[in-house]
Amino acid sequence: MIPLSPKHLCWLFVVLLPVLSAHGEDLDPRIRKMEEERIRVIQAVQPSVVAVLTGGGSGVLISEDGYALTNFHVTEAARGPVMKCGLPDGNVYDAVLVGLDKVGDVALIKLLPKKPGDTFPFAKLGDSDKLQAGDWSLAMGNPFLLANDFTPTVTYGLVSGVHRYQYPEGTLLEYTDCIQIDTSINPGNSGGPLFNMQGELIGINGRGSFEKRGRVNSGVGYAISINQIKNFLPQLKAGLDTDHASLGFRLETDDEEGGLAKLIVKQIISSDAMRRGVDVDDQLVSFAGHRLRSVNQFKNLLGLYPKGWRLPIVYRRVNDKKQIETHETLVRLMGVQRQELPQPGQPPPGPGPRPGPGPRPRSGEAPLPDSPARKLYKPKDGFANYYFNELEQERLLKAFHKHGDFGKATGDWILRTTGTLYAGVGSRGKRVVADFTIRSKGARDRQNPLVQGIVDGLDYSLEPLSDEEKPATRRDPPDSGGLLMALYQYRQLLVYGAKGFVTSFSHGGVEPFYPPSEDQTKPDYAKRRVDAEVLRTRHAGVDGKWYFSKNNDETAGQLLGFEIWLDPDEDPCEVYLADYKDVGGGRLPHRLEIRFGDKVYANLVVNAWKKEESK
Amino acid sequence: MNTRQSLALAALCLLTAVALTPTKAEESFAHTCDHVNPKLVKLFGAGGFRGLQSYGTGILVSPDGYILTVNSHILNTQDLRVHMADGTHYPAKVVAIEPELDVALLKIGDNKLKVEDLPYFDVVEAAKRPPVEPGTGVLAFSNQFQIATRDEPMSVQHGVIAAYSKLYGRIGIFEATYKGDVYVVDAITNNPGAAGGALTTRKGELLGLIGKELRNELTNTWINYAIPINARITVTQADGKEATVSILDIVEKKEQYKPLTPNKKNEGPGVYTGIILVADPVERTPPYIEDVVPGSPADKAKLRPDDLIVYIDGVLVGDIHTFHEVLSRYHPNQTVKLEIQRDRKLQTVTLTLEKPKPKKPAAKK
Repeated sequence: MIPLSPKHLCWLFVVLLPVLSAHGEDLDPRIRKMEEERIRVIQAVQPSVVAVLTGGGSGVLISEDGYALTNFHVTEAARGPVMKCGLPDGNVYDAVLVGLDKVGDVALIKLLPKKPGDTFPFAKLGDSDKLQAGDWSLAMGNPFLLANDFTPTVTYGLVSGVHRYQYPEGTLLEYTDCIQIDTSINPGNSGGPLFNMQGELIGINGRGSFEKRGRVNSGVGYAISINQIKNFLPQLKAGLDTDHASLGFRLETDDEEGGLAKLIVKQIISSDAMRRGVDVDDQLVSFAGHRLRSVNQFKNLLGLYPKGWRLPIVYRRVNDKKQIETHETLVRLMGVQRQELPQPGQPPPGPGPRPGPGPRPRSGEAPLPDSPARKLYKPKDGFANYYFNELEQERLLKAFHKHGDFGKATGDWILRTTGTLYAGVGSRGKRVVADFTIRSKGARDRQNPLVQGIVDGLDYSLEPLSDEEKPATRRDPPDSGGLLMALYQYRQLLVYGAKGFVTSFSHGGVEPFYPPSEDQTKPDYAKRRVDAEVLRTRHAGVDGKWYFSKNNDETAGQLLGFEIWLDPDEDPCEVYLADYKDVGGGRLPHRLEIRFGDKVYANLVVNAWKKEESK
Repeated sequence: MNTRQSLALAALCLLTAVALTPTKAEESFAHTCDHVNPKLVKLFGAGGFRGLQSYGTGILVSPDGYILTVNSHILNTQDLRVHMADGTHYPAKVVAIEPELDVALLKIGDNKLKVEDLPYFDVVEAAKRPPVEPGTGVLAFSNQFQIATRDEPMSVQHGVIAAYSKLYGRIGIFEATYKGDVYVVDAITNNPGAAGGALTTRKGELLGLIGKELRNELTNTWINYAIPINARITVTQADGKEATVSILDIVEKKEQYKPLTPNKKNEGPGVYTGIILVADPVERTPPYIEDVVPGSPADKAKLRPDDLIVYIDGVLVGDIHTFHEVLSRYHPNQTVKLEIQRDRKLQTVTLTLEKPKPKKPAAKK
């Protein structure tokens, strides 16, 4: 790297000065207006640009309460969750790590105000999908750590390409759907903002194609698109160490000369996609509503979504009768990180060339410095910072309890329904009566709960906390995926909240949720999709995922549905809730749809909820 | 109203018009990109071993699939492939090479596969335009770093013509083949795979072909340049007569084009090792030594028959073709470190290269 000494800079001014003075007089007014406009945009966004001092990178504020985005590889270099950041106001602020997206190279941090209640200047998030190759852009940050007063350096250049895919460089760190720029990006720019000419944040600068030119700008830089980050942001705010997604199969391109690529499934592992019927040699036609044209494009799309999201796919196959079958279904995305963790004994993969801080010793984290940000940090496995997860849990549960607080109803619960049962009786279904009782101390030991159900005259019962129940009993009634267990877990949430889940309880960010449609023949997933806040639970040996309305209306915080997994490698019992009505103590759903796998188990209309306080 | 008054009025109107034209803060080139991109193709061919990329860029110069690109090693293959802007892909073959201009003309498809109605750059029109002045804003389109495949658009960069001047460049230790006028640009356009891309005005009018990765002979710094589309240079033929070659000529004559001078093949001055390799009957014969010329650099380095050459200065040489390719980048009097396998063990020997002998040793083709 060539050091830029003050002496060099002086020379630069000597050369530039005559140009500058000439420029004032006979410049085309249009050019001057453009320049003024550009200066206005730069001045407007500049106060939001962060110098991440611990770690030696850049960042950008995105909310008035101090949340800021940067690169994971910048926070990693900070060697701990507590850091110092400089703002263009000349002040140094304490900051704490909030959430991580290691695969996408994104981190969310929070700056602490000097006085409680002080607000920060912040950048408005743009829509990076509107960006086109050939648009102008502004990169801001702290390259070569030039600014001692934290005034960011600004560079100006073209968007060279959009929706670019950049392979992982020896690590999992993969840049999917990124923005390629010829705007100068250098070491220290990492984590800093890329703005469009309206001053909207469209990306986080993070990587360059350097190869033989040394670790400086070679005309090719990459920014992570803000639209990808938006998908992860609720998880980052919940303090999660997030993961990206895979579908559980490998695709290969199959095409003819002069034709367009077809993406064919080769190798498939046990996954939701496999359970949904995807098989080797099927053609994947579309993913998440996008028609597929190349493997790069597919990887770009996949990289946009966090693990666990449920998204539509369309696949096609030629059946035995040589007919083309087309299937459309929802698939749950699996993660990418777990199976790729370094094996014991192997050194961790080294970082690829990127404009960040130089290599550093990978010894453990430094001890936490004495900073007020320490109070905002709580370590926990699977989380970047569990303190922020607890904040999000509290906020969501508060909204949930506005719809009813059943904390006193610790006694037995009875649910009487009539409806249509589909399991085992064909597609037209059968009118049935179904009643369920959850007895708080109904088990044989008189301590633990018992769930009983009578569905279409057949009796079922389950002791959810007993180790002696057979696997089949835990999944009763047959073909429901475990409705008795699901209703028990539901009562746990209603009565005990977080305390009802002994093993774990956490906020999971925001995920798409698909309420059932009236018309069963047309899936139309895009239209049905609503984004919901998620709680994840584990209790009685089963995992639960709970979806809450995040609508900005009176339904905010209402439970839309939940999924209970008897086994993480099987389909869950899905319960969709609708028709909320007042019962004593709050509102409860009066229509339930229960699904398992690809089928509806039953549609039930609630005639009565009966709940008792403990005797 | 007299003439002077009306002129003044006209001037005033003009001024007002200028002032009233709404100035769009920053004009995007997205429209230009949409317009230019379908006229460019991604090339995939030979290369892939260390330091030599296997990809490049080309521009369509006819509706039936003739492609103009820079002559480079990626064309040395029977399996040259072209990815079009719409994601379709085709085989392609080399139609003509112009060694002095260092450009090549390719054709998409074969007897069975024909393409038509493709968008293309009109080279005849482009060649009529005079060279643009230094200071002119330009755009550069290429598939540098192989960022794009299939239907993904080319990378676009912006810059300014810094100079219109003679090229004095070198590749590694070679002198650059082309020695005519070039556009020098202030943007970092000449990255791996960019050669053969388009340098255009900001309206997308073709100015030149982006050149190779070269360093300036004098300063050893990287040069970002493009060969002007109206490039023409005077060459001396074998019979001593002078003639002019131009890009326009090769694009117009196509299959009928005959270069006036032999293909320079981008070689250095050549070196002598005294190594005689085994015969090369198959495509990927490993470089085993058949014999060593007595008194030659190989003899002095104590190389022996049956030694297998594995690395030249750390570059893996898997076959005889690569051995020659890598060695051709060296100068006489340079020393080169060979790693050889002898009796199943790797050994390192150092060899001082000599000038080629007037009569070529048997192993050199």
